[in-house]
Amino acid sequence: MTSVVIGKVGDIPPGERKIVVPFRGRAGIGVFNVNGSFYAVRNICPHKNGPLCTGELSGRVSTDAPPSTRGSTIAVDGLGEVLRCPWHQWAFDIATGRCLVDPEIRAKTYRVKIEGDDVVVEYEN
Amino acid sequence: MSQVGATPITAPGWTAKPKNGVAIVDCDVHHNFRHPEQLLPYLSTFYQEHLLDQGLHLGGYPNIPIRTNRTDLKGRMKSTDRGGKKDAGGDPRDFNFTLEFLQEEHLDPWNIDYGVLTGPPPFYGYSGLPDPDWAAALCRAFNDWTIEHWLGRDERVVNAILISPSDPAQAVEEINRLADRKDTVGVMVPMGTSMPFGNRFYHPIWEACEQHGLPVVSHIGGGGGAARTTPTPVGYPTYYMESRMSRPTVASAHATSLICEGVFEKFPDFKFALIEAQQLWAVSVMWHLDTDWKALRDQTPWLKRPPSEYFREHIRIGSQPMHEPEKPEQMYQMLDMLHADETLIFCSDFPHFDWNDPVTTFPKLDEDLHHRIFAGNALDMLRIDTGN
Repeated sequence: MTSVVIGKVGDIPPGERKIVVPFRGRAGIGVFNVNGSFYAVRNICPHKNGPLCTGELSGRVSTDAPPSTRGSTIAVDGLGEVLRCPWHQWAFDIATGRCLVDPEIRAKTYRVKIEGDDVVVEYEN
Repeated sequence: MSQVGATPITAPGWTAKPKNGVAIVDCDVHHNFRHPEQLLPYLSTFYQEHLLDQGLHLGGYPNIPIRTNRTDLKGRMKSTDRGGKKDAGGDPRDFNFTLEFLQEEHLDPWNIDYGVLTGPPPFYGYSGLPDPDWAAALCRAFNDWTIEHWLGRDERVVNAILISPSDPAQAVEEINRLADRKDTVGVMVPMGTSMPFGNRFYHPIWEACEQHGLPVVSHIGGGGGAARTTPTPVGYPTYYMESRMSRPTVASAHATSLICEGVFEKFPDFKFALIEAQQLWAVSVMWHLDTDWKALRDQTPWLKRPPSEYFREHIRIGSQPMHEPEKPEQMYQMLDMLHADETLIFCSDFPHFDWNDPVTTFPKLDEDLHHRIFAGNALDMLRIDTGN
């Protein structure tokens, strides 16, 4: 296990990210602060290798029935917990790296620890 | 009356063993009246006057040829069947005007177990009529004329009742009026509309269909592509061949709309066939929608599954006019891409010039796939009571 200090907690406020390049390759990683929790995602989209971590944040959109059904409403939950690849708009859960459309498709994720004031990303050698 | 499945095999080139069960369901058999006045007994006095004063009011796109029928059928009508007036149905000598003609020229020689009556395409212009009440009246009259002159005498002849989509309330009334008939096995809606079929305007119609276990059999109509709009999205084509090529775009628009508007989430037992619009468009719709859905799913979150799954479960594709691929092996590839074992339903389009017969249209197919295309998929969709 290798640990890398990528910055201070205060460098990445909630809703922000830090792209660390290079990190185990030229693409690097994105380290995200989602409501106070830190996550690291490899900056390669499993779809077409796009720069996933430079995409926009969104949430999970859901509904029980089409809008032509009386009383149906569309909910948006977890705003800021979902990352959309800038190339083709595929959406991924930042915490798990799983694609919302097909959870079998996963972006590589890394464990993040907070040690004192440091944000530390770990990876297996 | 013929016995289903028991007639001798006499079709040209047909060398299969005697039939066991239902072998051929033909989902597109066009029947027609000789002249519009035959509908008069089935119209109210007001609409009788309307027909006599003003005619049908049906106009197709004007590059559609008068003669769209097989010319070998010309002159083979019984002499008593001749002498009708020329009308929007085309040359009166060679159309399918009687049950007896249908039996002799199509059902008997080709061993059709069930033929679904779909009415005459020139008549489909009703979906483009500005007056929705005249359109509904015409549908009612045509259905009643069909009941009296075509149904109840040969169990092979079943009916897709005509309804007009321009007034859903009257369409629902017509479905409810005729749904209890055993020979009502589906609902025919022309594809020529002013809004694609997924629009919520139409949902009461689809709801009624689902309640009665009836699928929609939607035929291209009212022009090369559409009746209330230009036949193509880019304007008016010059020649009939061009108009025909608008059909896949029309079918694609309807199928896509039905899926994206969540019609099959609302009506999970509803099936919708799009016929005489070719086939490869369906591959394009399935593939393209699945790709787009991955990026755009948030815009239609009521879709719980990839769009192609809704397609394969709910939408059916008529087999006519069947593509004739450049290389023979491409036919098999296309059937594979279409999921033909789930989606493709045999349509002859009798008696038109671009009809497909049951024998030469496909290459040698795996027995199961052959059965799915020629009977299984249709029997799963249509409300046909085979007695089994």
